[in-house]
Amino acid sequence: MGGDGVLKKIGAIFAAVAAVAIVAFFVWDGVFNKTASKEFFAMDTVISVKITGKDADKCVAEIEKCVAELDSILTRHKTTSEISIINKNSGGNLSDKTAEYFRLLLDVSKKSGGAFDFTLGAVSDLWGFGKNPVVPEVAEIQKLLSECGYNKVTLSGNELTVGGGIIDFGAVGKGIALDEIRSILENAKVKEAVISVGGSVLLYGEKEASVGIRDPYGNAGRSIATLSLADTCISTSGSYERCFEENGKTYHHIIDPKTGFPVENELISVTVISQNGAISDALSTACFVLGVEKGAALAKEFGCEAVFITKDKRVYATDGAAPKLEITDTSYTLI
Amino acid sequence: MKTKLFRKGDIAVILVILVAAAAFRLYQTKQSDKLEAVITVDGKTVETIDLSAVESKRVIELDTAPKVVIAVEKGAIYFEEAECDDKLCINCGKLSRKGDTAVCLPAKTVVTVSGSDVDVMTY
Repeated sequence: MGGDGVLKKIGAIFAAVAAVAIVAFFVWDGVFNKTASKEFFAMDTVISVKITGKDADKCVAEIEKCVAELDSILTRHKTTSEISIINKNSGGNLSDKTAEYFRLLLDVSKKSGGAFDFTLGAVSDLWGFGKNPVVPEVAEIQKLLSECGYNKVTLSGNELTVGGGIIDFGAVGKGIALDEIRSILENAKVKEAVISVGGSVLLYGEKEASVGIRDPYGNAGRSIATLSLADTCISTSGSYERCFEENGKTYHHIIDPKTGFPVENELISVTVISQNGAISDALSTACFVLGVEKGAALAKEFGCEAVFITKDKRVYATDGAAPKLEITDTSYTLI
Repeated sequence: MKTKLFRKGDIAVILVILVAAAAFRLYQTKQSDKLEAVITVDGKTVETIDLSAVESKRVIELDTAPKVVIAVEKGAIYFEEAECDDKLCINCGKLSRKGDTAVCLPAKTVVTVSGSDVDVMTY
């Protein structure tokens, strides 16, 4: 056999190995890196999931079921929900999971000095955000404010006592959903996932994803900055959501628990990054109420990072968030 | 006899593959340049529209509850009418850039211009 014959033989072996590798790659990729995506509506918002891994399809179905169940527990607009029953009875014996949520939210409420308060359901109803919005009478607001407050809520073991107000998980329901979704993913064969529950985001897995922070003055799909992150939760509170105008003044939905009126400070949006979805949701509201300085201190206390955007397009980022942040809209300035 | 590494037929096959790859790459580039809008109702795609190819304005009436009417014109798509209470979908205005999105929650309808630069949005 001459040199050409050897060359041909080597070529044939190489071709065979390459063919096997290509087939293996596609089989491996198709089975173990299967991607499933779905968009659905629950918790009064739109939810999108994109999951890669062997159990992707199974997880999508489980997530849909889980979010529907969570909605039926947390909503106060269904008389049969656990929260509605708590509100009706001014407390009760909670399931372990719900007790854990309350423990966490009480902690955020206390540490934020009441900037986050989950007992303002009646005040929120008075404003009628999203339905028939109206500026309420000051006297009405003050009466309701005097009746509610997180400091009237006590939790002993799983026994909850509500001393006034209406419990409303509206500011944290999406974050709680992210935590429950993470549990599903952890118990399945999943490589990575990108989940959005109405703009509160869970990034699962080691692969970094780019998260766009919404342009406060533009379309919901446009971003002014991106955060490159992996394996974390991201929540944003912005005064551009659910707002209305009356007598030339715009009112937004983030209520200052001290005044009962929409927060009036320099901020237009706050984004919080946390390993815990409920904390990132609660802190984004609390940090918005507190403003840049106190908000950043609170985020630090919880070991979280934050990005603050002011009405005049200045961007403040905590030390851990800054290296991950890229401003993409040149009309905004990183301070 | 000296054996050639490649025969004429082999070269022809290689050339065909190269041309096909180049054509595919060109097609992909063209696709990514395209301004494409997707309308979904309850997670299911009901229509995909190449906005750059729209010649004149047309409306799409969706059989949702509440009813919504979506208008399409050259380079833009938007909610024109909606029987929902808050009209947030209409207030989103015209969607004309990649990643632009408008949602009518009561009608479970989402309109998105495909091709966002980011993996996910926080808002």
